[in-house]
Amino acid sequence: MDTGLPGLIVLVLILACAAALLMNRDWRWVLGALGLQYFLAFLMITPSWPLELASVKLVAGWMAAALLGLTRLNLVEEPQSDTRRLPTSPPFLILSTFLVLLVVSGAAPALPDWARQMSIDQAWGGLILVGMGLLQVGLSSSNFRSIVGLLCLLSGFEILYASVEASLLVAALLGVLNLSIALVGSYLLQTVTVEPRQ
Amino acid sequence: MSSPILWIFLPGLLGVGFLFYRPKDRFPLVVAASVCLFLTWVAWQIPIDVVLNVGPFSFEIFPSLSFFGRSFTLTNAERPLLSFIYLFETLWLLGTVIAKPARLFISVSLICVSLFVAALSVEPFLYAALLIALAVLVLVPLLSPAGKPVGRGVLRFLIFQIFAVPFILFTGWILTGVEASPGDLNLILRSGLFLLLGFTFLLGLFPFHSWIPMLARDSHPYIVGFLLFFLPTISTVFALGFFDRYAWLRDSQFVYQIMTLIGSLSILLSGIWVLVDRHLGRVLGYAAMMGIGYSLLGIGLSGGQGVQIFFALLLPQALGLWVLSASLGSLLDKDPNLTFEGVAATFTSSPLSIAGLLLSVFSLAGIPLLASFPPRIALFNILATQASWAAMLAIVGSLAFAMVGVKLALAVLQRSTRPRSEWVEEAQPVKADAQSEIKDLYSWAFLIIACIGFVGFGLFSRLFLASVPGFASMFPLLFP
Repeated sequence: MDTGLPGLIVLVLILACAAALLMNRDWRWVLGALGLQYFLAFLMITPSWPLELASVKLVAGWMAAALLGLTRLNLVEEPQSDTRRLPTSPPFLILSTFLVLLVVSGAAPALPDWARQMSIDQAWGGLILVGMGLLQVGLSSSNFRSIVGLLCLLSGFEILYASVEASLLVAALLGVLNLSIALVGSYLLQTVTVEPRQ
Repeated sequence: MSSPILWIFLPGLLGVGFLFYRPKDRFPLVVAASVCLFLTWVAWQIPIDVVLNVGPFSFEIFPSLSFFGRSFTLTNAERPLLSFIYLFETLWLLGTVIAKPARLFISVSLICVSLFVAALSVEPFLYAALLIALAVLVLVPLLSPAGKPVGRGVLRFLIFQIFAVPFILFTGWILTGVEASPGDLNLILRSGLFLLLGFTFLLGLFPFHSWIPMLARDSHPYIVGFLLFFLPTISTVFALGFFDRYAWLRDSQFVYQIMTLIGSLSILLSGIWVLVDRHLGRVLGYAAMMGIGYSLLGIGLSGGQGVQIFFALLLPQALGLWVLSASLGSLLDKDPNLTFEGVAATFTSSPLSIAGLLLSVFSLAGIPLLASFPPRIALFNILATQASWAAMLAIVGSLAFAMVGVKLALAVLQRSTRPRSEWVEEAQPVKADAQSEIKDLYSWAFLIIACIGFVGFGLFSRLFLASVPGFASMFPLLFP
C-alpha cells in the first residue's frame, strides 16, 4: 500500500475496526469487525507478497472468525460475563485508544528506518493492530475477547513481518497458528458446557 | 528414509491416529511407548547419513527433508538429544498408568513431542518459535478439561506464549542486520531487548512467570509436569542456537551476566514462594521455575563449560519432574486435596506415591546423594570464582525448596503418629483401589525406577555425565 489517499483510507478503516473490536459488546459486530480487519490486513500485505500468498492470510483469518462465530452461535447464553476488573466505559476505552495512537505515532515513523522494505502505511497499520490487540488482551478477562485480542495482535504483527519475510513456510505456519488460536478459543468458550469424557 | 520422517512425522501421525481411537484399553499406550522406545534406540545406535548393510539389504537415514521451500534437518549431532527426548517421552507415556491423566494425553503428547523436535530441526531455525507455539496450543485442551471452568492460568499461559512469537521472529530478522553491520550498536541493543523479551515470555521468567503456579494448581499435575519439562528444555536449546550462530551474542559478557542474574533470581524467588505455599501442585510449578533458573545459571557460565553444565543439569531435572508429576497425579486420583494436610491424610493408602514425592522434592532441591547434587556442585564450584553472589542466592533458594520436603515429611509423620479417634463421625465412601497401592505392581515398579534413577545418578554420576560432551556437540561454535 503506497502512501496517499487509498492508504490513508485503509488506515482509518483499520483503526475503526480495531476500535469496534475493543468497544462493541455484541459478539456479532465484533466478529464482523474482525473479518473486515483481516481483509484490510490483506490489502496491507499485498504490496509485499504475491496475491496468492497474501490470500492465505485472508482465508485463514476469515476461517478463524467463522470458527469463533459458529461456536458463539451454538452457545445458548453467555458462557462467561466480563468480570470487569478494569473500567470498560466508552470514555475510558476512547482515551485508551488515543493513548495507543500516541505511542504508534511515535514508533511508526521510525520503523521504516529499521526495515527499508516496510512502507510507512504498513508500519502504521501493523502497529495500530498490535497496540489495540494488546489493549484488548490487557483489559478483558473474558475468554472470547482475549482470543479476539490475540488474533488482532497477530494480524498486526503479520503486516509488519510480511514486509521483511516472504517465506511460504512462514505463511503456512502463521495461518495454522491463527486457526489453532481460534480452535482453542472455541474449545475454551464451550468447555463449561461440554460433557466431560471418561 | 529421512530422519525428519522418522522422528517428526512418524510419532506425529501416530498421535493424530490415536485421537480417533475410541476403545478404553491400553493399546495406544503399548504402541506409543514401543514406538518411542524404538526411536530412542535408533537415535542412540544408528548413525545418520551412513549406508548400513544388514544381510542382503542396505539402508540409509538421510539427514534432511524439504518442506514448503524450507528444510527440516536432523544430523548425527542431534542424535543424543533425540535419544534423550524420546527416552523421556517413553517414561511420560508409561507414567500414565499410575498418574491417570486424560485419555487424550497419549496422542497429544506424541503430537507435541513431534512438534518440539520439528522446532529443533527447522531451517531457518527462527521458525522454531512458531512450531513451539503450535505445540503449546495442542496442549491447551488437556490443561483445561471439558466440563470445568477455564482457569485464569490457562488463558494467561496462552497469551504469554503467543506474545513470545513476534518478539523471537523479529529478533531473527534484526539479527541478520547485525550480521551485515556488526558495529551498529543500536541494532545490537534492539535485537538484545527483543530476544530477552521473547524468551522471558516463552520460558515464563520473572515477571512473566505468574501462569506457572496458577496452571500447576488448576490443571492435572501430570500434564503440567509434561509441559513444564518439555517447553523450557526445547526453548532453552532453541535459545542456545542463537548463541551458537551469532558471534556477538556468544562473545558478549553482558548477556551472560544478565542470564546469571535472571537465573539466580528465579531460583531464589521460586524457593521463597514455595516455602510459603501449601498446595503441592504449585510446588511442581516452582520446581520447574527453579530448574529453568539453574539452566540459565549454567548457560551464564559462558562458552563450552556453560553448555556442558546445562546438559548435565537436564537429566536429573527431567527425572525429578517426571517422578514429582507422576506421584502427584497418583495422589490426585485418590484425593483431590493436594495440600500438605490432604496428602498426609492419604499416607496409609498411598505410601509409595508419597515416598516418590519426597524423593523427587529432595532430589530437585539438590540434596547430597540424589540426582541433582553432582551437576549442581560442579556449577557452584565454577560460580564461586565467577559470581559468588549468584551461587549464594541459588543455595538459599535450594535450601528453601528442601524445606518443602521437610514440611511434607513432618506433616506425614504427625498424621501417622496421631492417636485415632474412637468415634466415627460419618461413613465415607472409599474408592475401590484406595487401599491397594501397596499391592499395586505398577506403583512398586515406578518407585523402584525412581529410586534407581535418583540414587544411581547421585552415586555414579560420572557414568551419566560422560555423555554430556555428546549433547554439547550440537553447538559446534559454542562447544568447539
